[in-house]
Amino acid sequence: MQGAGVPHRVVVTGVGVVTPIGTTVPEFWAGCKRAQLGISPLDGFDLGDLKILIGAQIRDFDPKVRLKHFQRDKIILHADRYSWFAAAAADEAIKQSGLETPFKDPYRVACIVGSGAGGLQTMETCYRDLFIHKKRATHPLTLLRFIGSSATAHVGIEFGVKGPTFATCSACSTAAHAIGIGRDYIRHGLADIAIVGASESVINYGVMRAWQAMHVLSPEGCFPFAKKRNGTVLAEGSGILVLESKAHAKARGAKMLAELCGFGMTSDSRDMVNPDIDGPSEAMRLALEDAELAPGDIDYLNAHGTATTINDRNETNAIKKVFGKHAYELAVSSTKSMHGHPLGAGGGIEAVACVKALEDNWVPPTIGLDEADADCDLDYVPNQGRAKKVTYAMSNSFAFGGLNAVLVFGPPPA
Amino acid sequence: MDEVATKIIDILKKHMKEPMDNIGPDTALTDLKIESLDLAMIVFDIEDTFGIEIPYNANEEAADFKTVGSVVDRVRALIAGSGAAAAKA
Repeated sequence: MQGAGVPHRVVVTGVGVVTPIGTTVPEFWAGCKRAQLGISPLDGFDLGDLKILIGAQIRDFDPKVRLKHFQRDKIILHADRYSWFAAAAADEAIKQSGLETPFKDPYRVACIVGSGAGGLQTMETCYRDLFIHKKRATHPLTLLRFIGSSATAHVGIEFGVKGPTFATCSACSTAAHAIGIGRDYIRHGLADIAIVGASESVINYGVMRAWQAMHVLSPEGCFPFAKKRNGTVLAEGSGILVLESKAHAKARGAKMLAELCGFGMTSDSRDMVNPDIDGPSEAMRLALEDAELAPGDIDYLNAHGTATTINDRNETNAIKKVFGKHAYELAVSSTKSMHGHPLGAGGGIEAVACVKALEDNWVPPTIGLDEADADCDLDYVPNQGRAKKVTYAMSNSFAFGGLNAVLVFGPPPA
Repeated sequence: MDEVATKIIDILKKHMKEPMDNIGPDTALTDLKIESLDLAMIVFDIEDTFGIEIPYNANEEAADFKTVGSVVDRVRALIAGSGAAAAKA
């Protein structure tokens, strides 16, 4: 073990996802390779008078199959869908890490699984029961289902985590904040292991109406950086990492997938919906500084890339500010073009994409990019992914409210 | 057993991890291995099935709910009470 005051290096030893283009990491990555589109006409609920009729829903996920073997958490199957996704992604990540659960030293493990919105499907059902169906009571588990900390609590209970356990909440930066905070806990010796990421499942009539009223959803599709882009597309899913100190991983002979070597976070402190260049670029700069890297060291950047007019232009300008000439040599892509925008879970799924890009030396594409916007002139890896040596990868998350979080992943340390 | 008892036993079985076949009025609820959250869901289901409200607080000892028979008796009384209220209205 390293002495006091010397920060621990932090490695990734497990990854897990549930996404609209694959409900495990191998399926998700195969989906990226195929340039698979996860967006389709909405179904599964009464669409009523909705004007936006597309989304990236997860259709091939059965909690009774994926969570059947859960032992300690007795009510996981009664939980909200967002907790199911978190539980399944965490299960996959922990299995890959090879860590034994319940954890032997449970107070040295942190569980930080965030959610931008919590169990809003449960609230929709609750309000329909009360206000429309005039039921005399809500389901007794309504409260436990919807609270934004239920996913992290379910994961912590099932795997026997007794250290710091809570959820982060920062809209589209939720997962990146959770991952960064977990890393810092390990780095500064508060924990040896951290289960980190986020989960989201909010595609229902009420939430669609709320987004529709913001006028930022596209009726046609998610086309980041394209001239034709006209909004984002809501998605659902979860992305979870298992982080460990390098010393802990080494001592048990674990396979290290990557090092989580940089984390930067800032707030624009300016506007709820209009981002500025300074906040995002400073978060990227801080992440590079934290990783002790120069801009030229980054090979792949997984952009926030929501396909809103303003984000993609602003993010492109922020990248140029940080990377200078190297901005044009970087491979930049938005995997949201395939899996849609899973809000708080985005940074978790995209962190997994970065780890896979490092492992595979292959960068995923931005699909639907037939003609780039004149303001968006970087290499966005249009339509098909490609082989490229990836030593360092950066993942951007920029949220409503101007909340920015950036992660940098590097090769597993010797 | 009457319809009320049968329906209540079906609800209990639905919420048990390992449903038993020989549940009768004398069966103690503690023998059914029902945990506090399960009890909340059972009360909810019973209320929904019979259109009644069972005064119940998870913080208090539920004296009415010691055996299956005591639950059935309580539900019968509440159904009679709500029937009376309906007749008055």
